[in-house]
Amino acid sequence: MRIIYLDNAATTPIDPAVREAMTPWLNEAFFNPSSRYPQGVNASEAIDRARAKVARALGARPENVTFTAGGTEANNMAVFGLARARQAAGEQSGRIVIGPTEHPSVEESARALVREGFEVVQTPLDSHGRLDLEALDQALTPETVLVCQMYVNNEFGSVYPIQEVARRVRARAPRAALHVDAVQALGKLELSIEELGVDSMSVSAHKVHAPKGSGSLVTRADLAMQPLLFGGGQEQGRRSGTENVAGIVAWGEAARLADQHQSASSKHYEAIRRAFADCLERLDGVRLIETGAEHDSRSAAICSVFFPGPPGEVWQHHLEAKGVLVSIGSACQAKRKGVSPALLALGLRADEARQVVRFSFARTTTVEEIQAAGEVLATVSNELGAIGR
Amino acid sequence: MQDTLLSSPELLLVRYGELALKGGNRKFFERTLARNIRSATKAVSPIDLELHQGRIHVIPERRPLEVARKLRDVFGIKTISPAWGTDNDPEAIVGMAGNLLGQILPANPEQPVTFRVRSRRANKRFPLDSGELDRYVAEKILPGPERVRVQLVDPELELGIEVREQRTWLFHERLRGPGGLPVGTLGRALCLISGGIDSPVAAWMAMKRGCSVGFITFHSYPFIGESAKKKVIDLVRVLGRYQAQSRILIAPFTEVQTAIRDAAPEAYRTVLYRRMMQRIASTLALKYHYQVLVTGDSMGQVASQTLENMTCVAAANSLPMLQPLIGFDKEEIIERAQHIGTFETSIKPEPDCCTVFQPRKPVIRGRLDECLKAEQDLDVEGLVQRATEAAESLTLDPEG
Repeated sequence: MRIIYLDNAATTPIDPAVREAMTPWLNEAFFNPSSRYPQGVNASEAIDRARAKVARALGARPENVTFTAGGTEANNMAVFGLARARQAAGEQSGRIVIGPTEHPSVEESARALVREGFEVVQTPLDSHGRLDLEALDQALTPETVLVCQMYVNNEFGSVYPIQEVARRVRARAPRAALHVDAVQALGKLELSIEELGVDSMSVSAHKVHAPKGSGSLVTRADLAMQPLLFGGGQEQGRRSGTENVAGIVAWGEAARLADQHQSASSKHYEAIRRAFADCLERLDGVRLIETGAEHDSRSAAICSVFFPGPPGEVWQHHLEAKGVLVSIGSACQAKRKGVSPALLALGLRADEARQVVRFSFARTTTVEEIQAAGEVLATVSNELGAIGR
Repeated sequence: MQDTLLSSPELLLVRYGELALKGGNRKFFERTLARNIRSATKAVSPIDLELHQGRIHVIPERRPLEVARKLRDVFGIKTISPAWGTDNDPEAIVGMAGNLLGQILPANPEQPVTFRVRSRRANKRFPLDSGELDRYVAEKILPGPERVRVQLVDPELELGIEVREQRTWLFHERLRGPGGLPVGTLGRALCLISGGIDSPVAAWMAMKRGCSVGFITFHSYPFIGESAKKKVIDLVRVLGRYQAQSRILIAPFTEVQTAIRDAAPEAYRTVLYRRMMQRIASTLALKYHYQVLVTGDSMGQVASQTLENMTCVAAANSLPMLQPLIGFDKEEIIERAQHIGTFETSIKPEPDCCTVFQPRKPVIRGRLDECLKAEQDLDVEGLVQRATEAAESLTLDPEG
């Protein structure tokens, strides 16, 4: 059976060039980058080269790139590290403002800080699925120490207006650091910490064709941050632990490729989404969930689709049985079984929100694959269309 | 007199319970228990095993405490005592006893402790009888820590001494085993298992009474995903702590459910699903040599567990059916599931096949004649045959 993988927001296939770049570091070049003999120094230089690539892809200075075990660690590091640094500087605990659809690694970290005296405020979406900027304005107070807002929504690809958020944060909460979870943005949008005007940004390697287990937190210079991990002082003391050399080398190469392909990718994703929307139009009762307008845009790489009849889970398994791999909600939500708050904000009822399936694309996805998936969708739609529930 | 730090215990004294009472079967029970002990511990350490009267001596090559922990899940075992050995010489015994007492006294030196010595003398050539040895050891070691007071009934600390032919064994604790009968001594049962809380507990109870339990589950792919199947396998793997090897049969159920949906009254769907499950399970039980079926039914818990509905379901079954949870409340079942270790897995949210085409209003007092009438429009025999032929069989080792 032919497998058509349309769950690239969960993870992506490894690029052969990335695999090749990392291989020597899994074989003869296994040395510890902290060792002082030439082999160790060589590993340490490989990390520096990877750091330079990641920095270039994200518009940051190399010394402001910290390697982590992935997006979740980068988000934890930002939320705990920035909030605690403010506390350590002798300031009041203050307020943390988080966006309406943050990844659990941001939201749960922020909520854990309530025990340390912080107050957490979550901003809402408006009825079009956009950021409610007026509500954001109201949440931002002079006591706010940290604001977290994701860049690209992992369910429908909404692109949130980060520059606009940054402007408001600077005006109303001048002491606050602004952290952006950019995990779904890398490779899909032009991504530069300087251009966005934010303080820190998290990214994950396996969303851009590198193996799982690597990622980065990039920061603007001179940002005070408490480490999460203490030990040998690697990563300039920001993240102790012997470096994952092979993973970091792979991640550097993947970041370079993502950046290099970025402008071509946007056109590619638009073509994919158009082909996909065409397939859906032929199906009864199936509709693409559109969000945003005006100040929001969207990434064509992630689509959510409403299916009639049985729950999304049943559609998902019928599609997978015919080789089309998709997910219901994000992979993180799929484990937690919650109903997406974003879908509820769009006005769907709880039972309707369970009838939504996510399709997400990569630069490796082809229009031909989309058409083949469209055929499968049509078959499954015939099978399931007859079932009331 | 204390202060040589004790090394790991040399052996585990294993006591077994009621199986010693089973007269002529005793050798069979003991051998089965010994085999179960070997397979429960084989991933941890090679062991030597000696059968003594009413005792099994388990001598692990390494990790004795981990071996002891494994033994706490072996049915048939009543208690386990990690033991230290010394020569059959009163002075050597006193030395070891003092040492042991020093190690186990509570850290707070102010706290008084009650204590007794209890000896057993299997070696009748040993110069002191057990009462004399008790007193001899107690008198010699007690002047040391002043806060220790002898109390013969229900003391806080008990030092056990067993004088055997070659060596004497000392111990201070009795870890509780699960009791029951060794798995495999009673026969073979096939348990209908879902991802829920009840059926794994029912399987455990059948194992506790000596059944070797196989499992059957029903899978309605692609209405239900692979992770629902994995959840059931995970449950069987947890239960693998209590028996050597588990077979799980996975019967496809989509065709059956679709046929029932199309042919039968909606309210009867669940009862009819369950009748089909009984038939498929009975057929597979014969093929794999299981003597009885086990289910996790508890009277009146859900709509399909009224007396009427259970009667309708049982009527489809050609084998005897055990329902060990029949009189349990949900809270009691949950408590057991937590004790057994299946609860955390059972409560993971995964749909099971009963949610497929679930009737909005299921029948409460089902009637057998209605079931039979609805089944006239079903190819019962063909459905059972296809499901049993397509059933997948997996064998799970505790470690894999």
